[in-house]
Amino acid sequence: MPGPVWLSFVFVGLVIFLALIGPNFAQSPYDQDLFAISLPPSGGHWLGTDELGRDVLARLVTGTKTAILGPFIVAAFGLIVSAVVGIYAGYSGGIVDSLIMRIVDFVVALPGLLIAIVLVSVLGGGYWLAIAVLSFLNVQGDIRIVRGAALKERRLTYVEAARAVGVPPHRVMFWHILPNLIALLAATFAIDFSGALVALAGLAFLGMGAEIGAAEWGSMLAEGQALLFGNPVAAMAPALAIILLAISVNLIGDWIYDRYTGQ
Amino acid sequence: MMTQRIALHLLRRLALLVPLAIGVTVVVFLLASLIPGGPVAALLAGRSTDTATVDAMRAKFHLDDPLALQYWFWLRGLIQGDLGTSIVSGQPVTAAISDRIGTTLVLNLSGVLLALVCGVSLGMFAASRRGSSIDRLVVGGTLALSSAPPFVLAIAGLFVLSFQLGWFPLFGLGNGGFWTTAWHLVLPAIVVAIGPLAFITKITRAAMIDQLDQDYILFLRARGIPARQVMFAHALRNALVPVLTAAGLLFVGLLTGTVFVETVFGLPGLGRLLVTSVQFNDFPVTQGIVLIVAAWIIFTNLIVDLLYAVVDPRVDFAGVAA
Repeated sequence: MPGPVWLSFVFVGLVIFLALIGPNFAQSPYDQDLFAISLPPSGGHWLGTDELGRDVLARLVTGTKTAILGPFIVAAFGLIVSAVVGIYAGYSGGIVDSLIMRIVDFVVALPGLLIAIVLVSVLGGGYWLAIAVLSFLNVQGDIRIVRGAALKERRLTYVEAARAVGVPPHRVMFWHILPNLIALLAATFAIDFSGALVALAGLAFLGMGAEIGAAEWGSMLAEGQALLFGNPVAAMAPALAIILLAISVNLIGDWIYDRYTGQ
Repeated sequence: MMTQRIALHLLRRLALLVPLAIGVTVVVFLLASLIPGGPVAALLAGRSTDTATVDAMRAKFHLDDPLALQYWFWLRGLIQGDLGTSIVSGQPVTAAISDRIGTTLVLNLSGVLLALVCGVSLGMFAASRRGSSIDRLVVGGTLALSSAPPFVLAIAGLFVLSFQLGWFPLFGLGNGGFWTTAWHLVLPAIVVAIGPLAFITKITRAAMIDQLDQDYILFLRARGIPARQVMFAHALRNALVPVLTAAGLLFVGLLTGTVFVETVFGLPGLGRLLVTSVQFNDFPVTQGIVLIVAAWIIFTNLIVDLLYAVVDPRVDFAGVAA
């Protein structure tokens, strides 16, 4: 395993660890201290304080859970739905396949995040609405990838053999083809995850998706922009967290994909 | 023959625009009814009122008519260039959009240009030195930069280049002539271009490596054609098709990037207007911008499609679907 990939696994592990147990150790992310606003890092506040005197480190650690839960749901939805619909479309072909691909090709051609910005705010906003809209937009590309792969598998001899001995279609699809696509699905999961992480943070940055005042990396970055003169760390910390997590997950995804395709 | 085929293809594409336009306008029209509480709630914006006012508003906006008739009234206005007025500013939507579209267009075009020129050069350079440390640096750099969201890059650029080093202006477009405005757009354009640049570099590198492995390149080299000519006149020309597809995608995708960049740098563009309009439920403005964006996407795809024929004469139009 190359060094950067190894580091990526360590970083992702650290983030998951922080999401699970972090809030127990950090200070309260909501306690305000209006006599200590926009302070640079110090012994009491390792990453300084924000414009309401809240501890930046505590908010960063508390935001970890929100930051990874949403992308995880979006990517998991993409994984499950694309595995079922993609393999079905690729394996069966025919009218159902061309109908699905029409919709998929149309949605994929649209600027997803822009649609999400409009839809999420017109429909009233909120974290879960943002996750639902992104899940729908994200799954389309996954279906296209999995369908393409299933189409290739269908022509291989092991599928032909299974069909020849009378294995029913659903068993061929989900017992024979699916296991061969696990690496591809894992790579797609990673790419979806980092895409959704950035998209959700972007929505929160614009003031959509996350609740006002919530400890969320994207909102912290937006609030931190005003603090660049007092405590620039308040903006840099969530920015670094988003970038490092996105790069790590992308590296892991690329690594899985390269192994899968044998490059 | 060639021009005739392209003309025929163009006609077929233009004919397909009619149902597409109807579909887009229906979707955009229905956007207003998606707002919780409908258009009246958006118009009132939380103010209390009496039934007479609500009835007057319903009458003014034809809200008691059947939906199909409402669509017709709206479409008739649209064809006459009337997109309604902004709920927030009272300005006609067409005026609000035309005031701001210039900034976004300049930002997008310079971003795409920057990404294409630098991306293609970097990609070619890396491909010609495959496996070297420079190549690995380029590959690593593109991976890192393509993972970095535009709002993070915008804030980082603003902090380091504008605030700490003082190289660029901090906010807005300034209040001066052409050069002042252009100067205020330099850093935003660079930020907009970075993600696309990484993407174009990656695609160019892959396409060039693919071409350089082909037998015809070996043959050209064996015949003693200068390396420069092999790279530019032969390999690059064949590698351009995927790059062109990517550029088309970018020109659409950049719209999202400009939303963030305009927000961070306080630029009066369409992206900023879209964000404020959705935040204040200013649905006539939102509808207007979504229409512009849809037209933007449709025409970008049309142009990219036609450019394929220029780059690759083998493109078979008979088999190309909508």
